[in-house]
Amino acid sequence: MMKKLFLLSFIASFLMIGVAVAQNTTVTGKVTDESGAPLVGASVLVKGTKAGVTTDAQGNFSISVKANQVLEFVAVGYESRQASTNSKTFTIALKADIKALSEVVVVGYGTSIKKEITSSLVRIKGSEVQNTPVPSLDQAIQGKAAGVFVESQSGKVGEGIKVRIRGSGSVNSSNQPLYVVDGIPLASGAIGSSTADINFNDVESFEILKDAAASAIYGSRGANGVVLITTKRGKAGKTKFNLNVQQGTNAPTNKRGFMDAKEFVDYFLMAAANDAKYHYYRAGNYYGYNNVQEGIDEAQTWVKGRLNRYSGISSANTNGGGQDWKTGTFNTNWEDQAFQEAKVSQYELSAQGGNDKTKFYVAGNMNRQDGILVKNGFERMGARVNLDNQVNDWMKLGVNLSLTKIVRKNVPDDNAFETPMQIVALAPITPIRDGNGNLFGTPVTTYYNPLIETEEASNKITAFRNQGQIFADMKLAKGLTAHTELSLDMVTQNQEVWKGPRTLAGKGTAEQKGLATSYWYRNARWMTNNYLSYNKVFADKHKLDVVAGMSYENLEQTSTFVEGQDFPDIALKTLASVATYTNGDGRFDENNLISYFGRANYAYDGKYLVGLSARRDADSRFGTSFKNGNFGAVSLGWIATEEKFLQDISWLSFLKPKASYGTSGNNSGLGFYQARTQYGSATYGTSGGIAISNFGNDDLRWEKVTMLNIGVDFGLFNNRITGEFEWYDKVTSDMLLNVPVPSMSGTTSVYGNVGEMSNKGIELTLNTINISNKNWRWTTSFNAAKNKNKLLKLDGDQTEILPSSARYANALIVGQPIGVFYAPIFLGADPANGDPLFRKADGGTTNTYDEAGKFIVGNPNPEWIGGITNNVSYKGVELSFMFQGVFGNKVQNGAGGFMSASGEWFDNQTRDQLNSWKQPGDITMVPEARLAYNADWYFMGGTNISTRYMEDASYVRLKNVSLRYSVPQKVLTNLKISSAQIYLTGVNLATFTKYTGWDPEVNTDYRAGNVNQGSDFYAAPQIKSWVFGITIGF
Amino acid sequence: MKKIININLFLSLVLLISGCEKKLELSNPQSIDASTALSTDDRVKKALIGNYAALGSSSLFGGDVLWMSELLGSDDELNWVGTFPDPRQIIGKTIFTNNVNVSSTWSEAYGVIFNSNNILGAIDVVKAADKNKVKGEALLQRALVYFELVKFFGEKPYVAGNPDQLKGVPLITATGPAAPQDVYYQLARASVAAIYTQVLADAVEAESLLPNTNGVYLNKAAASMLLARVYLQQANYTAARDAANRCITTATANSFGLMTNYEDAFNQSSNTKEDLFAMQVTTQAGSNSCFIFFSTATYGARDGDIEVTDKHYDKYTAGDVRKDLFFYEAGAYRVGKWRDNYKNVKVMRLAEAYLTRAECNARLSTNVGATVASDLNQTRSRAGLTLLAAPTLQNVLDERELELAFEGQGAWDAKRLKLSIDGKAYDDAKLTFPIPLREMNVNKNLVQNPGYVN
Repeated sequence: MMKKLFLLSFIASFLMIGVAVAQNTTVTGKVTDESGAPLVGASVLVKGTKAGVTTDAQGNFSISVKANQVLEFVAVGYESRQASTNSKTFTIALKADIKALSEVVVVGYGTSIKKEITSSLVRIKGSEVQNTPVPSLDQAIQGKAAGVFVESQSGKVGEGIKVRIRGSGSVNSSNQPLYVVDGIPLASGAIGSSTADINFNDVESFEILKDAAASAIYGSRGANGVVLITTKRGKAGKTKFNLNVQQGTNAPTNKRGFMDAKEFVDYFLMAAANDAKYHYYRAGNYYGYNNVQEGIDEAQTWVKGRLNRYSGISSANTNGGGQDWKTGTFNTNWEDQAFQEAKVSQYELSAQGGNDKTKFYVAGNMNRQDGILVKNGFERMGARVNLDNQVNDWMKLGVNLSLTKIVRKNVPDDNAFETPMQIVALAPITPIRDGNGNLFGTPVTTYYNPLIETEEASNKITAFRNQGQIFADMKLAKGLTAHTELSLDMVTQNQEVWKGPRTLAGKGTAEQKGLATSYWYRNARWMTNNYLSYNKVFADKHKLDVVAGMSYENLEQTSTFVEGQDFPDIALKTLASVATYTNGDGRFDENNLISYFGRANYAYDGKYLVGLSARRDADSRFGTSFKNGNFGAVSLGWIATEEKFLQDISWLSFLKPKASYGTSGNNSGLGFYQARTQYGSATYGTSGGIAISNFGNDDLRWEKVTMLNIGVDFGLFNNRITGEFEWYDKVTSDMLLNVPVPSMSGTTSVYGNVGEMSNKGIELTLNTINISNKNWRWTTSFNAAKNKNKLLKLDGDQTEILPSSARYANALIVGQPIGVFYAPIFLGADPANGDPLFRKADGGTTNTYDEAGKFIVGNPNPEWIGGITNNVSYKGVELSFMFQGVFGNKVQNGAGGFMSASGEWFDNQTRDQLNSWKQPGDITMVPEARLAYNADWYFMGGTNISTRYMEDASYVRLKNVSLRYSVPQKVLTNLKISSAQIYLTGVNLATFTKYTGWDPEVNTDYRAGNVNQGSDFYAAPQIKSWVFGITIGF
Repeated sequence: MKKIININLFLSLVLLISGCEKKLELSNPQSIDASTALSTDDRVKKALIGNYAALGSSSLFGGDVLWMSELLGSDDELNWVGTFPDPRQIIGKTIFTNNVNVSSTWSEAYGVIFNSNNILGAIDVVKAADKNKVKGEALLQRALVYFELVKFFGEKPYVAGNPDQLKGVPLITATGPAAPQDVYYQLARASVAAIYTQVLADAVEAESLLPNTNGVYLNKAAASMLLARVYLQQANYTAARDAANRCITTATANSFGLMTNYEDAFNQSSNTKEDLFAMQVTTQAGSNSCFIFFSTATYGARDGDIEVTDKHYDKYTAGDVRKDLFFYEAGAYRVGKWRDNYKNVKVMRLAEAYLTRAECNARLSTNVGATVASDLNQTRSRAGLTLLAAPTLQNVLDERELELAFEGQGAWDAKRLKLSIDGKAYDDAKLTFPIPLREMNVNKNLVQNPGYVN
């Protein structure tokens, strides 16, 4: 019902816009390729205006023109053609050609022609990712662009996506690219906001800027690459409505499996006996058992007490519902309990139209994704209006407005007992509910039962993201345009958490139960961009394109937080009802950025290309010694195939070597006031005190990234094969580092611009048209990239920052990649005694963890990434499928010490632990099962971090499969609609990997960072989705 | 014409915004610049309060140094059944150099020392009338943490040999260079004796400067009590006796005294008259990690990570009210002293002073302040036990063990009394903490303790 109302209201609002169409004539026709097959999505433009339409599924178009106007037909992969509008209906065939490269692409503060680009840029059309059933656009472009690595941390819906363009350039700053939506950089540091705020079905194109020549104009924010997102705009002509509805399901990609009840019981009784034997024979029997059997009996009796407790049959449980573990018949599969039945749906309606003066694009959408984890969910509801008005012959005004509401049902971080996945630690002998029908909790459950959160807790974030922009383009003289814009980007969000009396956070004190928090946060940014553009061709051969301007940005972050405890009743859930307010916070932070920028592109004779760009950023967060950051780049290109001597080579359609060199920066690692040494509040009892809160440094500034890019764009065999090959060398200097220091200094680490990092790599993109005839079309697009990351320098004295964690091994070692694994090498169970066996530094072996050497044992960064997409269409049916792969990286399971620990404690164990060492001579990777009852064996360190918990996490994934059917025109005409498609799309359908955990694409959220990569810790598997959808145009 | 107007408009907008260079100097409303943070009387006093917050961090007297001492000193009288591996390493006496609790305690302790040094460096801006008090508190804060550091990290207990030869911890007693990365901070370990000397010097001076009462903050009697503890570790019974005697004299003359009911000495949100010093814990500030690990979910803690074994429980005679304070839950006895949430952490109770004076008088066969029997029977009578007319030294030690059980003296009493723990001699290398791996990684001048390899 709600959904219907929503759609109706949108239709109503479209009507109110009331488009007036001028008195023009209408021309209709059909665009085909040389064989006569219809070209879908070809542009039909009125030359000299911005009016245009695109062809439908049958290649048909209809456009209104004035007398004597000329139409231009443009389609990717085809040579453009022009035609007069004397006849009212005609068919036009386009020749496949390289001139596809005349496609217009968006660049920083302007546009350019693809053919003349001398920087490294990837364009992904919005239509390529349209209707992909994922919440975030990063996920939608995963595997589609060479050198762009996308990793979802886990299957928590709409959260934590890592994007690396050409590797990681920084240790302590963000390595995520800058996202710019219609000229507005998305605020970094806005809590809870993400690319999931953007409905990517509104997107016309993504341009990914990879080298310095492309990103230098974004100055101190450009170093990680830039993703320019351009939303759809109105087109002159009859208003076209587009309705899109999709429904589907989400499911986990994998379940890993744990011991069942019988295995669990047998295993822990064995582990208890082994521990007692160890104590008696090998640890000196200091508890003084008279004989080994006495020790075994005591340990097993104690374990049986535990089993009674975990199965709910001990006196600790007075509510009944226990199941006797001794019968071996009762079994709970807790892993299954972490997941829920999950649905996906999307409803969307857009309208696009206008006349030669005013054009509009309006769209509304609702997207709902249930998470696969219990109580996890994501909803997005949004509306967009993009409006252009040609005021007179020299001025154009425009408005872009987008309003989005995001609702996230959050689940706690992976390291919280409350998070659903930690449920796998519970014993399979524990029933889910007691005799009263209530969920069992501790002490019957081994740990806190996360299901209690599903009944007695809520955690919801509601965010409103509003982006508004007004702009004017003014023609000041021939070729000279001024652009001015004012934008506002606001995130307002609140997180409301309620925890009931049985929850971990809500248990309070003996009498006071329940907890609630409310957190309000606003991130408000206004900015203005003002620039002049000058375009001119001198003497036919000299083409000049210059942009120069300035921008100013102000960012204000305001937040308040209240926590209260002790609810009188479980029905009362908001802070209004708490007895005591236990915590509160309120703060205000501000940042300003003043920038000047410029770009100049020059082409001589359509062959020789030169590009220059520069930016100067003054940021209030920089230290007093460095107030301005200057960035710049130069690029060169040569369209060799325009030279006479190459024009005879028939198989070579296009060849353009290019090179660029320049600098850009990264300011994201600096807090707003990081450069200053400051004291903040420190409360003791009820008295306010102060204490040092930040150790500053006047020299703190942006990180500098210098990049050399050399590449070649090519087209072969009449552009049946087009592609790009690039090599880059990217060096970060002045790299911000949180340098560990001795605690005697008053702190444990301090920031400085001291480090250096290198990323070198190659990228290959190939697009081929394998078959193209009247009925069949098969195209393939392939990309692959190799990146080698290397830390060049820490602070100059230190050469390594070594891991000091018992669960993870990420290190910073000069000469090695960022986050490299540095840990003891585990050699399996010692065949002689069942102890864990480690390699010593001198090459020998030892049973003692402390004596083990530490080695570089793996790289969490992939060596190679790639993707291959095939599109096969036959008449109205189109099948596309994409494989995506990541190779050469390892993942460490930080939870291995709990779940694969030879029964050291009562966590349910992974089934591989059944293969533990049993008797001398056994060769196995699993040491003898020993419970830490007498607490001797534990300290052999078998569960401390080592290669025991590291695995190759390379994978190939069937990322996306989409089958579409376009309803034939004949049928459509009868139905009075202009287009209709039905489609079935699947995401993450199959994964090929040797990784034995849930999913090789993983980085646990609670510690994810630049160094802390490749970590698994009860992270949810990725989401496998199936959706069925229908798109109707009318 | 219009175009020219527009050009002008455009250019003036650009110029307007260009004039905003002042926008680059923004102040942080949440902070005070360090250059002026310790510049006034009031701010130095606020920094002193801030250092109490640091002292009360969960890694220090907010609980960890208490329960870590108890786990380390546990001779099968406690069980760790919780899931956290780091405390389990401590009770098992095989600690890894990357133990989180161990390294946090080290770091937080030096944080307190850093603050104290800064306050002492700025002492001249404090009003003359308050100077002694502020200085005394800052000195005693520093002494308290150095004493914990040398006990946990010192190569061996003071009584184990020549303390001049034993490695202690790095000693820093003044404000160092502003840059934390300065090589100055790569300090080597001073000897155990040097640290003891510093602790004694600070505490002696603090004792002379501090007022008799000082609200919830450190006072003269607390300084005397710390001195008594330090001398006891040195087996300097005369000095320990006299310090304990001064403590009792000062305290009792200023309304301090034992609580009538033993139970009332614990689980309190406000200091009792028995508290010489306690870390303040409210729902909004302060931590009590003893509660977290000793108590149970019923009271808002974890699931009862630390269990009391029968070996300890059976040491109490029937009728001892201290036995009744244990509570049985989730299959084991629990330490009732740490039962409730948001309660103060007891650092020094007056009862300890009586038991220290009694022990020293018994050892020295003196009656300074009071007879052994009189002091001993203070706690015995409160516990509901029969009074002893002629107590032996062992009677005093037994009483001390039960009265102060699980309040943080476990390992230190065992070590100074040279008792074996879990089959290990009192000065076994595994009964000392390792120097934290993170400190070893950043400081070339640190030497690891025997028995540990990085």
